[in-house]
Parts: sequence; C-alpha cells; structure tokens
Amino acid sequence: MDPTLVLQGLVSGVLAAGLYALVSVGLALAIGVIGVINFAHGEFFMIGAFLAYQLFVSFGFDPLLSLIFVAPALFVIGAIVYRSTIRYVLEAPELNQMLLTFGLSIIFQNLALLIWGGDPRSISGVPYRSIGVQLGGISIGLVPLGSFVISLVLVLALYVGLARTRLGRAMRAVAQNRVGASLVGLEVDRIYLVAFALSALLAGIGGVMIAVIQSPTPTVGFAFTLKAFAIVVLAGLGNIRGILWASLAVAVSESMVATLVPNGDALRNAVFFAIIFIVLVGRAWRRA
Amino acid sequence: MKRIRSVFVLVFVAAAVLLSTATAQVTIGILSPLTGGAAGTGQAQKEGFELALKEINAAGGVLGKPLKLIYADTQANPKVAVAAFEKLMTEDNVQFIGGGYSSGVTLALVESFKTFQPLVSWIGGAVSGVGIDNFQGIEELLGNEPWFFHVHPWDYQNTEASTQFIADSGVKTVALLHEDSAFGGPGSQAAQKLLEDAGLNVVLNEAFKSTLFGGTGDFRAAISKAAATKADMLYWIGYDSDVVPMISQIRELNYTPQQIFGAPPGWPSDFAKAPEAQCVTGLIGFMPNLPTPEAMAFTKSFEAMFDKAPDNYMSALAYAQLWSYADSINKAGTTDQAAVIKAMESLTFKSPMGPWKFHDSQITHHQGFGADMWLVFQYQNGVRQIVWPTAKATAPLQSCQASR
Repeated sequence: MDPTLVLQGLVSGVLAAGLYALVSVGLALAIGVIGVINFAHGEFFMIGAFLAYQLFVSFGFDPLLSLIFVAPALFVIGAIVYRSTIRYVLEAPELNQMLLTFGLSIIFQNLALLIWGGDPRSISGVPYRSIGVQLGGISIGLVPLGSFVISLVLVLALYVGLARTRLGRAMRAVAQNRVGASLVGLEVDRIYLVAFALSALLAGIGGVMIAVIQSPTPTVGFAFTLKAFAIVVLAGLGNIRGILWASLAVAVSESMVATLVPNGDALRNAVFFAIIFIVLVGRAWRRA
Repeated sequence: MKRIRSVFVLVFVAAAVLLSTATAQVTIGILSPLTGGAAGTGQAQKEGFELALKEINAAGGVLGKPLKLIYADTQANPKVAVAAFEKLMTEDNVQFIGGGYSSGVTLALVESFKTFQPLVSWIGGAVSGVGIDNFQGIEELLGNEPWFFHVHPWDYQNTEASTQFIADSGVKTVALLHEDSAFGGPGSQAAQKLLEDAGLNVVLNEAFKSTLFGGTGDFRAAISKAAATKADMLYWIGYDSDVVPMISQIRELNYTPQQIFGAPPGWPSDFAKAPEAQCVTGLIGFMPNLPTPEAMAFTKSFEAMFDKAPDNYMSALAYAQLWSYADSINKAGTTDQAAVIKAMESLTFKSPMGPWKFHDSQITHHQGFGADMWLVFQYQNGVRQIVWPTAKATAPLQSCQASR
C-alpha cells in the first residue's frame, strides 16, 4: 500500500472528526443535561444546512458569514421546540420521549420537503469549496480544515463554558440531580431550555458546514445522527468530555478502513456499528 | 305481476352495471419515492405525471372520463414500497400501476407483483441480472410476465451507451467508482465487463457508500485510490445527492483525469454554476436543450406549468409512461387487462425523447427505451452541452486536462 495513500486516509479521518464532534456534542448535551434521547437532532443539522443554502441563494451570503444568522436562528428554533413539546414529556416514560422526537424528525423532514422540495441543491460558486492545500502528496481540503478548526473551537468553548461559567455549572448540577438543583434555587426548566437550544445551535452550525460540501436534502441529517449516536455511546451516555476522543476514534477508524480495505468506503457504516457493538459488549463484560 | 317486477329488476340491474362500466373513471396507482432520500427523483416523476395528466384530461381523458392518479409514497424503502403497493391493490383497487424507482425497491416488489398481477408499467429499476452470476435481477424475475412493461433502459443498455461514449472519448484506462446498493453494484460489474470487451483497461472497481443510503458524503478514500491509478477517466455510478461531494472532493484531492464521467439518475439543477463542474460529463436520459420538436414542446409546457426546466430525466420518462397508458387504454376501449396489454404491445407512443414503442430486449418482449435514449452532457462554462452522440451534440467534448 502506498504510504501517501495511508497518510491521506489518516488526515481525512482526523479532519472529519471535527464535524462529527460538533454534531455529537449537541446530542450529548441533550442526553446528558436534559435526559432526552433526541432523534430529531439531525433535523436541526438539516435546517442549518437549508438556511445557509437559502441565505446564499437569496442574498448571496457566504455560508461562513451566514453562521451569524443561522446560529441564533437555530437557538431560537431549539428553544421553541423545547418550550412547545419536549418539556411536556420530561416526566414521561423514555419511550414516549423517543416517539415524540421521532415524530418531530418526520415533521421537520416533511416541512423541508414542502419548502425546498426533494431535489438535491448546491451552494454553487463558493470559491474555496474544492481547494486542497498540497503538502508532500497529501491534500488538505480548505473546507474540511476550516470545519475542523471551527468545530474544535466550539467544542472546547463548550467544555470551558460548562466548567467555568455560572450557567455551565448550573447545567452540570441539573444533569447530576434535578430535584437537588431545584431545591437550591436553580431554574431547572430555564436551564433545560438553554441546553436544548444550545444543542440545536451546535447541530445547525454543523449543517452550515455540510451545506458547503454537500447537497442539502431533507434527509441529510440522518447519517450524521447515526454517527452521533455511535460517538455518544462510545463516549458514554451524557459524557460530554469524552466526545472529542470518541469522534476521533470513529472518524479515523472509518477513514482507515475505507483506505486500507478493498471496497472499504462501503464499510463505513459497518465500522461504527462494530464500534457500538464492541463498546457495549465490552462494558457489559467488565461489569460482569 | 311478479314476472313484470322481475323483468324490471333485471333491466334495472343490467342498466346499472352498464352505466357503471360506461362511467367508470380509470385510475392508475403511482409508486414513487415522494419523500425520503430519493424524494428529488420522486417529485420529478410526479411533475412529469401531472403535466401528462393535465394534457390527457384536456384531450378528453381516458374512455371519455378524466384520468385519475393515486400516488403511493415508497420513500425508496423496500418495506414501505411493498406496503404502499398492497394498499393500492386492496384498498384503492387499482388495475394499473405506474411510477417506479430504485432496483432494490423493485426487487422487493417482485413477489407482491406476482401475487396480485396488475398491469405494471415501470420507469425505474434498471438492474436486469443479465450476465451477472449468483444474482437474480428484475428482467430475469419479471421479464417473462405478460403484465410487466419496463420503460427505463436496462443496466446493460445504460452500460452499452456509457461504454460507447467512453470508447469514443479516446481514453484507454478507466477507474470505476460505484455506490454499493443494487443499482451500483451489479451495474459496475456489467460496466467492467463491457468496457474490457471494448478493449479498455479498468484499473480499479471500488465501492462507496452513497449519501442516499446513509453515507456522510466523504468519498476521499475511494477517490484517492482512483487518483493513485492515474487512470485517464474517473467513471462513477451513484445518486444525485452524491454529485456535489464527489466532484468537489475530486478537485480538492487534485485528481485531474482526462474525463470525469458520472451516471447518477439526476444532477443538482444549480450545479452548472459551480466552478468545479467545468468539464464534468454525465449520462442523462433527457436534456431540456435537446434540439428536437418533441423535446422543445415538452420543455415549454413543463416550464409553463412548474416555472423551471425539466432537469431530471425522470420527469420526461413519467410523462411518456402516462401517455402510453392513456393511449393504450383508449385504443383498447376497455380496462380489460388482456386488451390493454395488446394495445400497449402494438402502439407507438409520443415522448419528449421522440416516438417509442415496447420491443424485445434480452429477456422481455416489453422493453420501452433502449441504449439510444441516452445522451452525454458536459458542463462547459456554466452550461450543460450535449457532447454525445455526435448527431445530437450541441458542442464538442473537451478534455479536463485541457480546461485546467
């Protein structure tokens, strides 16, 4: 095997990990803080992608510039979804919560289909979309590199925010003990709202990045939601700190299998299912 | 008195039966992926059907009544498609089935089709199975059924056209990337065989996970392998939603073969404006700028109805399919299946691609379009030019290395 090919696979895997982390950390936030398994997480990602597309088509906004509008919009959408639906099932059985978010996912997909149609769209004319910096036979795409850096900054900012700010500490307190946090005067419902809105915002930013390099479609979030679930399971349900390394493990494993194995690209999904299987069996075996 | 009453009852029943037969509205059940990952193609089909329906009903309808369509959403999901088809048969009681998309969905429907045996005219599902070991394709499974008509060309007819274009383009070596479902997998095997039979060297045949089936659109590993072969042509078989990541990543990885040739069912309509689209070629069943009277008339009507060009060839195929149903049932003068089949076998139909009729292919006697339906376009300075076949070309083929 050509060593350049292997190195290219490694670089591609590391760069893909940034986006995976950004999408997964939002899902982990919803699970860790609120305790809701959000199957509609990928739809916030999809809405972010379509909003970036629409701002580009209607006003010529560069997708990166559109982050200024899309991020707050997704925060507001997330807050509305929480306030109008999620808060009413917090005490309900987990199955009801999952059914609700699954239903929301279908509603959002079909709304997108009504508004934008099912045709694959293209943000055409972004000058940096196809540029790769060549380093000794390795190509580093500007968009994957940019999305890796932005994702890393945002995920690290979230870590710092959770550890150092008053709101972050409140979120951790609510995540640990909802009743206790309420007894010491924390506004649990408000903290949940902010956590859920923040989760939607992070997914939406991921969507903007994907809109540059892919076609926004109503189902574009599905594949990333699957990856995010694998990463959240690998990191440990609700463990926000473990997301970064888990994303790196999943993305690099996928890329290396795709590079080293004949027809390996088609095995990408098998890789993350294998990871989920190994982790869950391994944990059960350790407990036994 | 009793006898007179019986006669009246008999006359009344006979009149009611005759009246109901005479006024029955013909209904066609349409199986299309209206939502889900292939919704773009399903919606394109729906637009073609709606335009044809408007024209058919304006021209007097079918058997003197307005034709009616019942859409059933397959979501391009085999299980959903089977349930949708069975609903059309058991609840809606349709006799005619149209639409069709995805070989995987079609293969899942085979047993249900055989159980209910409606008249099926199908514009999707290209995987024939012909020439592929250990795999039973659609033509092998349904080709001999008298009630099954296949409008879309088979995979070997697609590949015949692709191979001819590739041979005509002057390249010698080909790196083949294909998505791994029932569409791209058997299609790539057939393509490799035909290309090698034509004297071309297939230096790579590598699968990737399409964005339509859960892939994240990161094709860099597969493209890097193709680039390492230094093949003259990168030939990829995938879906519409794979176009943008595939082409932008080919550029990002600095792979510049002489030709980049793709065969997805459709292309993003605004992709022509993208700088990376320059010199990319694609196989397509219909182009709005096809310089024929039928194509121009269809494009004009389509644009008037939908305020956009018919960029996805599935619109044109759907339009052709519905007209073939309407003409056949009108010619038969009844909805009786045997009579309609006879009419479908004998008539020549109108279509945006020109006149067509059902004919023999490798197995079936009911094959609609063949290899000659296909065109190859090339993005040249923001415009899709027809570059093959030469007789229909609007511009000559350019090399990607020349336009670099």
